[in-house]
Amino acid sequence: MSSVHAEAPTVADFARTFRRIQAEIHKLIVGHEDAVEELLSALFAGGHVLIEGVPGTGKTTLVKTLGLALNLSFNRIQFTVDLMPADITGTRVILSGEDGRREFSFQPGPVFCHILLGDEINRATPKTQSALLEAMAELQVTVAGTTYRLKPPYFVMATLNPIEMEGTYPLPEAQLDRFLFKVRLNYPDEGELTRIISSTTGPEEAGIVPVFHATEAPDRIEALKRLVREVMAAPAMETYAARLVRATQPDSSRFVTGEAAAVHDEMVNRYVMFGSSPRGAQALILGAKVRALLDGRANIAREDIERVAVAALAHRIMLNYAALADGIAAAQIVERVIKSVRAGKS
Amino acid sequence: MSFPSQDRRADEKLGRILGRVGSVRTRLNSLALQHAIFYTLAIVIAAGAAAYAGACLLSPLAFLVGASALVIIGCAGIASAVGAAWRMRASAVYAAAIADDRAELKGRLSTIVALADRQTRGPLWSYLVEDTLGHQDEFAAARIERRRVSRAIYPLAAALLLAALAIPISKIKHAPQIAPGSGDEELTVDLDDLHLRPADPGDESGMQVTADAATMRRLEDKLAREEETSGEAGGNSLNQLVNRARDMAGHLQSKLTGQQTASKARLNLRLAGAGGDQEQNEIHRAPGTLKHRSGDVAGQFKQDHQESSREFELPSENDSRRPNSEPSPAGYGEPGAQVNSDKDNPANQDNRAADRRIQQGGDNAANGGAAHGIGADPDSLFGAPSAPTLGSEGFEIAIEARPVERGAKGAGRAYVAPKVRAPLSPNQEPDEPVARAAVPAEDQTTIKRVFER
Repeated sequence: MSSVHAEAPTVADFARTFRRIQAEIHKLIVGHEDAVEELLSALFAGGHVLIEGVPGTGKTTLVKTLGLALNLSFNRIQFTVDLMPADITGTRVILSGEDGRREFSFQPGPVFCHILLGDEINRATPKTQSALLEAMAELQVTVAGTTYRLKPPYFVMATLNPIEMEGTYPLPEAQLDRFLFKVRLNYPDEGELTRIISSTTGPEEAGIVPVFHATEAPDRIEALKRLVREVMAAPAMETYAARLVRATQPDSSRFVTGEAAAVHDEMVNRYVMFGSSPRGAQALILGAKVRALLDGRANIAREDIERVAVAALAHRIMLNYAALADGIAAAQIVERVIKSVRAGKS
Repeated sequence: MSFPSQDRRADEKLGRILGRVGSVRTRLNSLALQHAIFYTLAIVIAAGAAAYAGACLLSPLAFLVGASALVIIGCAGIASAVGAAWRMRASAVYAAAIADDRAELKGRLSTIVALADRQTRGPLWSYLVEDTLGHQDEFAAARIERRRVSRAIYPLAAALLLAALAIPISKIKHAPQIAPGSGDEELTVDLDDLHLRPADPGDESGMQVTADAATMRRLEDKLAREEETSGEAGGNSLNQLVNRARDMAGHLQSKLTGQQTASKARLNLRLAGAGGDQEQNEIHRAPGTLKHRSGDVAGQFKQDHQESSREFELPSENDSRRPNSEPSPAGYGEPGAQVNSDKDNPANQDNRAADRRIQQGGDNAANGGAAHGIGADPDSLFGAPSAPTLGSEGFEIAIEARPVERGAKGAGRAYVAPKVRAPLSPNQEPDEPVARAAVPAEDQTTIKRVFER
C-alpha cells in the first residue's frame, strides 16, 4: 500500500492516481481497457455504472477488483426474482436491549456501503429494482419513514446479462437514466484469453494493492471527485453537449418542445422513440471533465465529449421496433449523431 | 489566498495569451476583408472584360442579353463574396476556436477567452493559463494562419488575365453569317426562306440588296408581310421595346468599343428574280464561278462583271419562262427597254465601283431583255434604241441573310437546286438579252406579223 497525497489533489495527482487504480485492476482483469477507464471515469464523475456483458466476461471480478483497489467497503447483491426491497435497503427488526426492553432497530441492508454490486439486476422485479433509485440518486435510503444517509463515495455498479432474457425484468427507463455510463464488456480476443488462462489457472493469484489507505480512501476519492467538478467547460463545449443530446431526440417526439433541434438526423427520426434526457448532457460533461484531467488539462474539449458519448448516451436512447427489426443499436445512433452534429457545427 | 503580485503576474500571462489570440483574429479578419475586396474586384474586372469582348463580338441583342446576364451574375457573385467574407470574420472566441483546432490545443484557448471575463474562475484557472502559456509558440498568428494574402488573389489574377485577353479577342471581328469572298463556296437560298427583320444598328453584317423591280417588289411585300406578322404576333409595343433595346445596346456597344459602323466592310447581296420559280428565287453566291456562269446560263443567272467576288447574285427574271410573272412597275421594263448587263452599262459599272453598292438599274435592263421573249406585246417591239438606265425606284434595305435549316413555311430544309452545268450546243447562242437596236423599216412589218401570229 502506498500513500497518495494528503493535500488537495492537482491535475497531475488525478491522472497519476487514476492510472494507478487502472494498473491495479488490470492485474486481475485482462483486457477491457476502455471498460475499466469508463468505470473509473464514472466513479470520479460521481455517477453509477451499468455493466452489460455475456456471462464469464469478468463483470463481477471487475467490480470486486475495483473495491479492493480503492480499499472501500464493498457489497454484492445477487438480484433474483424473489428479492424484496427490504433485502436491499434494510429493514426494522425488533431487538431486545440489555434491560430486556424490546425496540425496533434499523438493520442496514447491503446498500449501505461504498461500492455496491447489483449482479444481474434485471432478474429482480421492478419494485425491487426501484429500491435502488433513491440510494443512487440521492445517496439516502428511507425505511419506515426514517431517512438514512449513505456515506460517500457511493458507487453502484449493476450488471446486465443480455442473454437468458426469460424471467427478467428490463430496467425501467427512470432507473436506466440514473446510471451515468453503460459499459459494455465484450468477449476477450485470443491474446487476452490466453493471458486470462495463464493468470487464473496457476497456483499464484495476483495480489491487488490498494491505492488508498482504508481510512483516507473515502476522503481522497471525494477530493478527486471535487477536482473533476472544477474542470472548466467553455460555453461552446456545453453547447456542443446540449446539441448532441438534442440531436438524439426525434423530431416527431411529442415531448420535444421549443425550437427545433439544430441537427436533424434521418436515422434518429426513423429509429429513435425517445432520445436522451438532460442527464445525458450532464453525463457528457462530467465524463469529459474526467477525460480532460486524464489528459492533463483543466478544460474540456470536444474530443473529450465525443469520447464518452456512447457510454453516456446509448442507454438513454429508446429505440423503436423498426430499429429492432433492422438490427440498429443505440451506440450506432450515438455515433451517427456525433457525425451529424460535427458536420452541422457552425 | 493570493497575493496582488501573483494576481498581477496571472493577469500578465492572461494578457499575453489574449494578445496572441487577438493577433490571430486580426489576421483572420484581414484575410476576410481581402477575400471580399479581391473577389469583388475579380468579378468586376472579369465582367467588364467579358462585356467589352461581348460588345466587340456580339450583335446588339445578344450583347444586351449577355450583358444583363453578366450584371445579374456579377451582382450575385459580389453579394456571395461579401457574404462569405462576413461569415469568415472572426470574433475573439471564433479566432480562439480556430487556433485551438489548428494548434491542437484541445479547447484551451477557447476556454480561456470564454471565461476570461468571469469574476469567479475556479481553482484550476491558473493551471489552465499556465498550461496554455506553455503552448504559446503553437498558437502564434503566423503558425495558425500562415497566409497574409487571401487566396482570393488567384481569382483576381485570373480576372486580370482575362481582361488582358479581352483586348486581342475584341479585335476579332464579328464574322458575318455569309462570309463574302470566301472562294468557291456556293450558297443557295430560297427567297421564301429569307427571314426579314430590321437590321441591328450595330450589326455590320447587313447586306445591300439589289434586284430587278419584280423581285424587289416581292422582297418589299415579303418585308411588309413579315413586319405585319411580327406586329400581330408580338404587338407593336413589344417591337418598339425590342428596337429600343437594340438601339440602346448598339449605342452601348459603340461606346464600349469605340468603333464606328462605317469602318466595317459591307456585304452586297444582289437579288434578281421573282415569282414562284424555284430557280429564280434562289440566291447564288459563287464568286469564283460567276464569270463562267455568265456566259453559260445567261438569262438564269445575271452577273455583274464589275462586282467584286463578294457580291451575291440572284437569277434574273426571265419573262420568257414566266409568262405569268408580275407586271413591271412603272419606269421599269417599259416596252422596248432593252438591256442589261453591266458590260453594256459603263455608268452602272462606275457607280458600283464607286460605292460598292448595287443599284437597281440592272433590274430594269434585265426586264427589258426579257421583253424579247415569247408573248411580248408586239406593239412595244419597236422604239428608239435605249440604253439601260439606272432606275430611280430602287431602294436599299439592310437585311440579315443567312442559310436556315428550315424554310420560311416550316417545310423542312430549304431546297437547294442541284448545280447542273450542261455544255451549250455549238449552234446555240448564249441566252443573253439582246440590246434593243434599230430595226430597218422594211423588216418591221414582217417581224410584227410574226409576233402577231
